Parts: sequence; C-alpha cells; structure tokens
Amino acid sequence: MARLAAELTMERETRVRLGSVPQRLIDTALSELSWKISADEFLLHATGEHYFYYRRGEGITVERGPGADLSEESLWLNGSVYAAIASLNGLLPIHASAVAVNGLVYAFTGSAGAGKSTLIAGLGNEGIPMFCDDTLVLDLSDPERILCLPGHKRLKLAPDSLEMIGAVRGEKVSLDVDKYYSASAAGNVQTALPIAELIFLEVASEPSIVPMAGIERYTRMQDEHYTSQLFASAQRFDRAGYFSHLARLANALRMSRFARPLDKCLFVEGVKLIADYVSAQRIPDET
Amino acid sequence: MASLRKLSERFTETRADDEIVVMRLDSGDFLSLQGTAAAAWSLIDGTLDRDDLVARLAADYSADRPKVEAELDEFLAELERMGLIAGD
Repeated sequence: MARLAAELTMERETRVRLGSVPQRLIDTALSELSWKISADEFLLHATGEHYFYYRRGEGITVERGPGADLSEESLWLNGSVYAAIASLNGLLPIHASAVAVNGLVYAFTGSAGAGKSTLIAGLGNEGIPMFCDDTLVLDLSDPERILCLPGHKRLKLAPDSLEMIGAVRGEKVSLDVDKYYSASAAGNVQTALPIAELIFLEVASEPSIVPMAGIERYTRMQDEHYTSQLFASAQRFDRAGYFSHLARLANALRMSRFARPLDKCLFVEGVKLIADYVSAQRIPDET
Repeated sequence: MASLRKLSERFTETRADDEIVVMRLDSGDFLSLQGTAAAAWSLIDGTLDRDDLVARLAADYSADRPKVEAELDEFLAELERMGLIAGD
C-alpha cells in the first residue's frame, strides 16, 4: 500500500538533531514542563536545561543542558513533541491507544491511568494487534474518511499490568516513571488505516458497550489533555472554528462508551467483550 | 405580535443525530435541543411569531394548545435570556 503524504511528512519532520534552541525563544521565560507554540514553531522546556525545539521544515532540535534528564527524552519526543509536530502540520493528535482489526482502527481514550495501554495488551492476548500507544494521529485531509497514521509501537505498562497480562517486561520507561516498555502479543500494524470508532474508557461493576449520540459526542471530545490543546493552539481556532472542527469529527466518527471493572479477576471478561465487539465489525464496502 | 429571529452572530449550530447542538460564541457553552425544542428552534426564521409557532407545533405534535403554549413560552424565554433570539 502506498504511504500517505501525511506519513511521509511525519517521518521527515520528526528527524532529531542535537543543538541549541534559538536564543530569542528562551529569552522569554518558559517554566519547566511547559511549552509554547506559534504558527510554525514549537518549544518545550522539560526539566533543567532540556529543550525541544521544532520548526516546520527543519525537524527537531534537542538542547541538552545542565539538569537534563535524558531518561525522559524519548517520552517527550514520542509524546508532546510528536503531537505538536502533527498539529503544526494539520494532523490531529488524540490521546488514545489503538488496535487494528479487519482493516479498521479502534481507538481507546481516557485520562491518564484509565487503562488504555493495559487494554491494548489484553486485546493482544486475544489475537488483536496493536496500532499505537498513547498518541494516535489522525489525517483529516480526506473529506470522506478519517485515516490513522501508524504510531509508536511500544506499550508502556505498570508492573501490576505486566503481571496481570503476562507480558514481557522491557526496559524501564524513565528513571522516575514506574512503567516498563512491552509489546503486544499479537504484534502490531504498520500501515495507515481508516478509523472505525473512538471508544471512551469508563469504570463500572459490569462490562458494557454503549453507543454515544448527540451532544455527548461533542462534550466528550472536549478533552483537556495537552494533545487537544496543541492542535487548537496550532490551528488558531476561534470558538466557531473549534465548533466546526468538533462537528467534523462528531459527524465522521462513531463513538461509544466502554465500561468495565478494573478488578483483576474481571479484567479478562471485559477484554473478551470488547474483543468480540471490534472483531464483529467490517469495512462497510466489504459487507 | 413580533416575529422571532435568531441572533445568528451569537451562536453556531449543527445537527447531531436527533439533536440540534448549539454553541454560544460568547461562552463556548453547548445547548442540546431535542424533540419539540429542536422543532421550535428550526421554525424560528424571522417570519413567524410566537402564535405561529404554537399553531405549527400543536398541529405537528397533535398536542394540546395550552400545553404547547406553556412549554414554548418557557423555551423562548430561555432563548431570549441567553441572547440567542429576539422579537422584531
């Protein structure tokens, strides 16, 4: 399958080199763990003198000064910086982990700690391959459908999740984060695919999947996560423009709520329910 | 009686399934209109007054006129309070 222009853009724009951030950008105070974005630039101040600078067409410059925590570097590059680059190139990053089945992507979203990565690992045990973890980038350029770009393929799992899933524990994510890299038992998908559904993770005593309709699809998409803020900032939305953006997504995306118990004993029951659900869907043209 | 018109510079709207979703541009707040509220909203076009709306809704929904009047008056008052409609 031919690669999308958006894939090639992300590949080109995420090249990394070490260097110095333009002084004009850090002359104005930017506190640690914060960022600023303009029409074609992004600057992130991590911890210490650790900066990530991106300019459209020029890729990423990483400045490693005193106090930089290098163990966090890949997390920044694969998280905020990746999402910012997508946003500045007209691609929509969403805070979601995803699987691919029958040529369609199912994206699971929820706040940090909602169990996105654990669910993807659990679905891997059911034979459903991973599509991405934590950040899913959507290409909105085709008015007929929304395509997902294949993203980062390493799951980040906490020790209790690794044990529950029976997944192999890889290297530690960073010095300060008690998570470890792992892989889906079903492997992963490397090609761009259309999105089938955006599924919001919730907690309940009994597993259930409920389609969402009407205004709920708008309000639930008003995510406070930095990925949404980056896109809105990069696109310079006013309220009408933001509403138009939400309407495009709401009209193009099926959305559901997937509620399940977090109890380890009932985890597999929830995974099997959602595995059956996504496996039963087909691309409309093929039915 | 005055014709009712939407103050379209103050909001944006779209249809979502069986609802009309309205966003106020001053606050970013959403408003969901369903059923008779959605029907009433759709009828507000600058040519019809309150009595015209009552007649149309009572006919379309085979509803008692007093009940429609009470519900519509409450709805129109809310829309006026929110600055989304005005009477000419």
